[in-house]
Amino acid sequence: MCDDSGMTWTVLVVDDHPTFRASARRLLELEGFQVVGEAADGESALRLARELEPGLVLLDVGLPDRSGFEVAEELADARTRVVLISSRAQSDLGRRVRESGALGFISKEQLSGEALLALLDRAA
Amino acid sequence: MRLLRLALGLAGIALGVVAYNVQVDNLGPATTSTRSLAIVAVAWAFLLAGLIAWARRPENWLGPLMTAAGFALLLRQLRYSHDPLAFTVFFALSELSYALVAHSVLAYPSGRVTGRAERALVKAGYASMFLLPLAVLLFYDGSERLRFLDPTPRESLLLVSGNMELALRLQQVFVVFVWGVLATLFIALILRRLARATPRARRILAPLLLAAIVFALRAVPEVVFTFVERPPALLYEYLFWWQIAGFIALPLALLAGMLRSRLARGNVSELVLELDRTPPQGVRDALARTLGDPTLEVAFWLPERREFVDDRGRIVTLPRDGADRAVTRLDHEGEPVAAIVHDATLADEPELLQASGAAARLALENARLHAETRAQLAKVQESRVRIVQAADDERRRIERDLHDGAQQRLVALALQLRSAQRQLGAKADPEVDRLLAEAVDELQVAVEELRELARGVHPAILTEEGLAAALESLTSRTPIAVSLDVSEGRLPAQVEATAYFVACEALANVVKHARASQAAVSARRRDGVLVVEVEDDGVGGAHAEEGSGLRGLADRVEALGGRLLVESPPGRGTRVVGEIPCAS
Repeated sequence: MCDDSGMTWTVLVVDDHPTFRASARRLLELEGFQVVGEAADGESALRLARELEPGLVLLDVGLPDRSGFEVAEELADARTRVVLISSRAQSDLGRRVRESGALGFISKEQLSGEALLALLDRAA
Repeated sequence: MRLLRLALGLAGIALGVVAYNVQVDNLGPATTSTRSLAIVAVAWAFLLAGLIAWARRPENWLGPLMTAAGFALLLRQLRYSHDPLAFTVFFALSELSYALVAHSVLAYPSGRVTGRAERALVKAGYASMFLLPLAVLLFYDGSERLRFLDPTPRESLLLVSGNMELALRLQQVFVVFVWGVLATLFIALILRRLARATPRARRILAPLLLAAIVFALRAVPEVVFTFVERPPALLYEYLFWWQIAGFIALPLALLAGMLRSRLARGNVSELVLELDRTPPQGVRDALARTLGDPTLEVAFWLPERREFVDDRGRIVTLPRDGADRAVTRLDHEGEPVAAIVHDATLADEPELLQASGAAARLALENARLHAETRAQLAKVQESRVRIVQAADDERRRIERDLHDGAQQRLVALALQLRSAQRQLGAKADPEVDRLLAEAVDELQVAVEELRELARGVHPAILTEEGLAAALESLTSRTPIAVSLDVSEGRLPAQVEATAYFVACEALANVVKHARASQAAVSARRRDGVLVVEVEDDGVGGAHAEEGSGLRGLADRVEALGGRLLVESPPGRGTRVVGEIPCAS
């Protein structure tokens, strides 16, 4: 599932924009991550997280069926690592990022394997 | 009709003298001249009140009813006569006087008995008070003393079979049924009517309470003394005089209550004078005082809109006439001017209403113009609110479009370029790699600029998290030290957006022009008003009229019924205060 010593991180990408999911998958896979699944809404994200047990869930805060923050809280309760993403800046999202239980936040345009690993290292 | 009333009055006086003499002559030591006179006085009180009421309100049956009760009370005394015919006739009819008194009370103040129970009681009263004494006469043979009479025997011309025991039993039945059952029902119906009445009606119906007390004063001793021994003479004497006082006061109270509107009509002339110095907003109060109805409301007819509005220009839907409320429309030359919504009891006094309405017509016309202006202003205000609402909706839509459209495409492009960089890896031409890196950086700048633009249009955090979070985000991005003091909890979207844009514009001015080292933002609710305040320690000298930013915000705040103040003395910083009404 994950690795703390050179093994591959498995990732579930959750976002309602298919173009973003495809771009993120390609980039992360090129940077050594294994994208094990994609979800377009909160309910699918929770189901796939249970089924696939990814090492990391990359989760958009704005989902069509429910708030990404709520989904993050549920996933965090199940001890799943969550990184929140949005095309908005963190300052535009208020304190809910901090209160969601996620490892951290990355603006979508700044997404990279490097940025993810930096967050994971900080959380370790 | 006037002559008839005069003749009745004179006949009443003459009959009173006769009744007095008949009682004194026939009862002998069983009565006193004072007591006889007192009973005649009761009858005369009814007669006098009845004739006055009849003269003042000829259309109302209460006057004739009270007059009839007065005559019946006088004729009742003739039953003491030892003449067989007089005794038989007036004993048979004697108790009808109380039926007429009760009928008068239940018909007060309109002259009509309303209510099924009340009508049934009146019918039962007439029937029992005629039939039971009549039945007594069928068996009374003079061998024993009848109740209410002296021991001297009298002759019943209706005697069928002498049976004193039955005659006395029938008298007992009469007392129990009339003074026990019917009187109790009578008092209960009065109390029910008073309990259900509106405050104005209760004031008018106050004489009924006196009637209930008077009948109770009469009924309780009647029933009690039928079954127990008579009380000591002194107590009996007290009871008698209390009854007399009550029965004299009753017709006078009914008359006074009935003529209240007559007295109120005298107030109409005062109303004319008062309205001369009353502002349009005071017309309702003046009418309410004149008509004695504090619940009165006035609605003004707007011919162009073909609807009624109140004095503040708000649309009024007139209620249907019901048990508590009634509507009187005031017209002038066939055109409606206004409608008065009032206590239903006033509907019994249409002349008073029309007289007051006519007296107030000019003032009402004036007040109507005032209300019309208020209505137009209210419409303009509503329209301003709708414009603000529409602008906010549009801003939210643009922000969403930017977020879901251009921003997403730029983000995807940035990731794709970064993927291309990774794909090429070490094999890439350094020039191509540099170009790709620059393109990614440029895209990130473009995304940030787009984000800034979207924030300016309508910050998503304001919609999603509310004013407190939005101000926190705003102050955290401001490049000088800003302290923040804000109430938690959501407010109507327009209020939050207006407060946010006031703070946003004021802070932008602080950064651009104030040369301040620090600023403070607060947004607190006080007495239904959200007060948003931005203060800095800069150079001051700002004016709300200068530039479109603060002027536009002042318009926006005023559209929501609030106001924007700018205090900016040169050299002493600037303070911008927005006061925005917030119902929640």
